[in-house]
Amino acid sequence: MDFAQVVADNQSMVFSLAVRFLRDREGAEELAQDVFLQLYEKLSRIESPSHATGWLRRAICHRCIDEARKRRLRPRVGLDAVPEPLAESRHPDLLLNERLRRMVAELPESARMVVLLRYQEDLDPTDIAGLLSMPISTVKSHLHRSLAVMRGRLERQEICR
Amino acid sequence: MNLDDELRAALQREPAPVDFAAKVTAKTRTSKARVVPFRRRPAALALAAALALAALVPSAVYQYRQQRRAIQARDQLIAALSITKVQLQHVRERIQQNTRHKI
Repeated sequence: MDFAQVVADNQSMVFSLAVRFLRDREGAEELAQDVFLQLYEKLSRIESPSHATGWLRRAICHRCIDEARKRRLRPRVGLDAVPEPLAESRHPDLLLNERLRRMVAELPESARMVVLLRYQEDLDPTDIAGLLSMPISTVKSHLHRSLAVMRGRLERQEICR
Repeated sequence: MNLDDELRAALQREPAPVDFAAKVTAKTRTSKARVVPFRRRPAALALAAALALAALVPSAVYQYRQQRRAIQARDQLIAALSITKVQLQHVRERIQQNTRHKI
């Protein structure tokens, strides 16, 4: 197994999951590098590129959730967590994207990871349930509730404008 | 607005920093040289345990044999003493009988 190729193929997936989950580029990069390092140490046990991708996805999900729990005990503010100035953007879609990313980042940890895996990684609820070791009904409930919360917040923001 | 589509657009993967792969490669080089603490090496721990056991077992066997020999020696001594006691009693009885005859 070519480790450099595994890094090249998966770095975007691993980094994106971490940065969207933690909203701290520096911390996310550190965590993502650490996960690749963990994989490097287990490389002899990795059978195929898809096995490597699955392993990395699972590892980054669990490491992100652990890191977020640690940060709850000792908060660390990343640059991405600092609110942006309330200037009207000339690109409404970009502004909406940023609002959505922020809303996702404010979801509780498990729900946030479920939403990221669903919409960033395009995994279906069965795969998410397997990856996060949770019942499929919980995954569906997280998705349903998260979407309802975000929809409600977007509607309120539209009304306030 | 379709929230599903908007979320998919907002949460598209983003590229990792340009030097990401180089940093990971550099870390793998240092990780090779990194000394793993002794307690995190199961093989080393197993070897240490085996060596300790190998040193302890002969010593325990030697101790056990010594103890067995000491017990056997004690039993032999007790048997010898009891035989001597019986013999001495016989001698004493004969002496007493002889003394009575003379009187």
